[in-house]
Amino acid sequence: MHQPIHSIVILGGGTAGWLCAGTIAARVKKEHATPPTITLIESPKVPTVGVGEGTWPTMRATLRKMGIRETDFIRECHVAFKQGAQFNQWTTGEHKDSYFHPLMLPRSFSDINLAPHWLNGNTGTSFADAVCPQDTLCINGLAPKNITTPEYAAVANYAYHLDAGAFANFLRRHCVNTLGVRHISDEVTQVNSHDNGDISSLTTDNHGAISGELFIDCSGFRSRLLGQHYQVPFKSCKDVLFIDRALAVHLPSPSPDTPIASYTISTAQDNGWIWDIGLPTRRGVGHVFSSAHGSAEQAYQNLARYAAQSGHDIDKLSVREIPIEPGHRTKFWQNNCVAVGLSAGFLEPLEASALVLVEISADMIASQLPATRSTMDIVAKRFNKTFLYRWQRIIDFLKLHYCLSKRDDSDFWRDNRSNIPSDLQELLALWQFQAPWDSDFDQAIEVFPAASYQYVLYGMGFTTDMGKRGLSKEQQQRAEFEFIQNRQTSQQLARALPDHRELLNKIYQHGLSQV
Amino acid sequence: MANPVVLDAKKHHDLRVITKRGAQFGEAVHLVPVIADELRSLVLDYPICFIKDTETGQFGLYALLGFGEGENLYLNGDNWHASYIPLHVRRQPFLVANHTLNDNSSRSVAMVDMDSARISQSADQGEAIFDDAGQPTEYFKQMQRLLAKLIEGSQITSRFIQTLADKNLLEAAKINITLASGEQKNYEGLYTINEQTLATLEPEAVSELHKLGYLQACYLMLASMGNISKLIDKKQESHE
Repeated sequence: MHQPIHSIVILGGGTAGWLCAGTIAARVKKEHATPPTITLIESPKVPTVGVGEGTWPTMRATLRKMGIRETDFIRECHVAFKQGAQFNQWTTGEHKDSYFHPLMLPRSFSDINLAPHWLNGNTGTSFADAVCPQDTLCINGLAPKNITTPEYAAVANYAYHLDAGAFANFLRRHCVNTLGVRHISDEVTQVNSHDNGDISSLTTDNHGAISGELFIDCSGFRSRLLGQHYQVPFKSCKDVLFIDRALAVHLPSPSPDTPIASYTISTAQDNGWIWDIGLPTRRGVGHVFSSAHGSAEQAYQNLARYAAQSGHDIDKLSVREIPIEPGHRTKFWQNNCVAVGLSAGFLEPLEASALVLVEISADMIASQLPATRSTMDIVAKRFNKTFLYRWQRIIDFLKLHYCLSKRDDSDFWRDNRSNIPSDLQELLALWQFQAPWDSDFDQAIEVFPAASYQYVLYGMGFTTDMGKRGLSKEQQQRAEFEFIQNRQTSQQLARALPDHRELLNKIYQHGLSQV
Repeated sequence: MANPVVLDAKKHHDLRVITKRGAQFGEAVHLVPVIADELRSLVLDYPICFIKDTETGQFGLYALLGFGEGENLYLNGDNWHASYIPLHVRRQPFLVANHTLNDNSSRSVAMVDMDSARISQSADQGEAIFDDAGQPTEYFKQMQRLLAKLIEGSQITSRFIQTLADKNLLEAAKINITLASGEQKNYEGLYTINEQTLATLEPEAVSELHKLGYLQACYLMLASMGNISKLIDKKQESHE
């Protein structure tokens, strides 16, 4: 039991597999004199799903810790900057119905909760626009930084839109060439076990048995180790989140100087919604929908109409249909095997939670990596507890987008106002009389901060009644000051920041510096 | 606005250039681009740092002459209080441009900025460029050598900076100064050598930098930052 962990085996070479390999390899290399070896086995036959084209700002730290230059990443993965998400037709379905969920926190968020003051006052603007400059930047097509801003540093908080296929290849090259990860392209034919149920090795077609002390299952939807081998049950959440199908297509950029949106555009449809992610070379567009509420043909028609708005004919493009099984495994770490990525679970890409879950999973494995088998069960228990909580919070947060909608044009939207998880129901009850704040959550492991709830709630017209207690004069004055400051900051940044594509072109030409 | 024209012995036979120093000649600037070859001389007087080009984000090498737009603390009337004056200042009003020839090759040619305040308006003031025989004067020959040195030096300097940037040897300089008046000032946008990274380089990397002469240049730059205090003193004096 006290045998040291000196070999980690990762099964699966998609984004999840390589992000795990890179995160863990960089960490153990930095910390230890004799770090464990890391081997990644990738099936040459199984294609990667290639979803997850939107990240969170966390990806900046994830890549930096791996020793990746942001310039290389931007150049090689067809990256664009993401400053938030725009939700169209989610609240009433009317043409003008739109709100913005920026990545920057509301101004002075650690000092003052501006939400009640916005609700109370008369700023004449949306909540996001009143408390943060990012909506203005996005509408004006501006980048979140300058060419003089160092790599990974931001003027306005940002994440990325990227080409998932190119990203997996890019990570693989870095992991293999720089971080010393061993890459085996082979088919796993058998899972071999010790008496205690631990996996001892994976038998491959041409490389024999690959043994290890810790196995990370990044095998995608088939969940080869956790699901198939250990038979860990899958907990569906289809009763809460109805989306179970996606149609995806790439719309090529009409010209090299077509403007690129620096935010994800999410447009609600009668039985789901359409994502729209702008890259320098193309837009990734897709329609997720509930097969219980509508047909694939109907979704195809919606998608075709959406693409036609920008002059694209999807009949001439390759449209992929992807089944989605919303939910997650009842645990993620069993014996000496932990699942990360689609093998652990999947949810609709509404708030780009797929890659961030991979990042925080890899980070937790790397930072708590047990030294010996004897302590692994303790780490596993913690990991399972943390991630079960996180999955539940993400499901709740996604449901929030649906249950606040006032749309009444289809069963999909009407049905979405029921089956609200009890934790979310309690929070919504609370927020009728007080605005969301950090103290509503178990902050240390929270995925979505209180700020995200504020942006969605008040973006979708939720009202919080501040009641008879009112707001103090002093706080009102402070809030007024912050609103004015925010307007000034918005104007200053709008003048100082370059056009989104112009910055990307400069990065191709000159690169960003590290300092 | 600059008005550069190609020099011509016939056309510019009577042209004279004023070689005096002074603010009227555009010398009241707080930054001057310099080349790595000048470091040894510059280190005696000036802080030398890297600054990013706002258009490209690329680093350039500069001598710091003051703390704000138009402030040259080394310049006092027509006197430059320093043992060395940067080439970029001394080359004025001459410059070099690449001219594309008919066969598509290019050649650098010396030009003169006719709008420069250094262009003399009278025959008895300033240095002649061409002599009576239409040959370059000693003064102009000296300027040509200086221009050639600048051209070659700026390429060497770019390679020097690129190498340092690739090895992550640059860092933002934190310059906070307190004037005698109690006024505090922070200066941002200046970069210098990251001493810690330099000290912990692998032996092979040190050897590589040494062979290229970059290691010495790094230490000269680090030493030059001591001149910040000289600059602060000058600023105090100018306030008194």
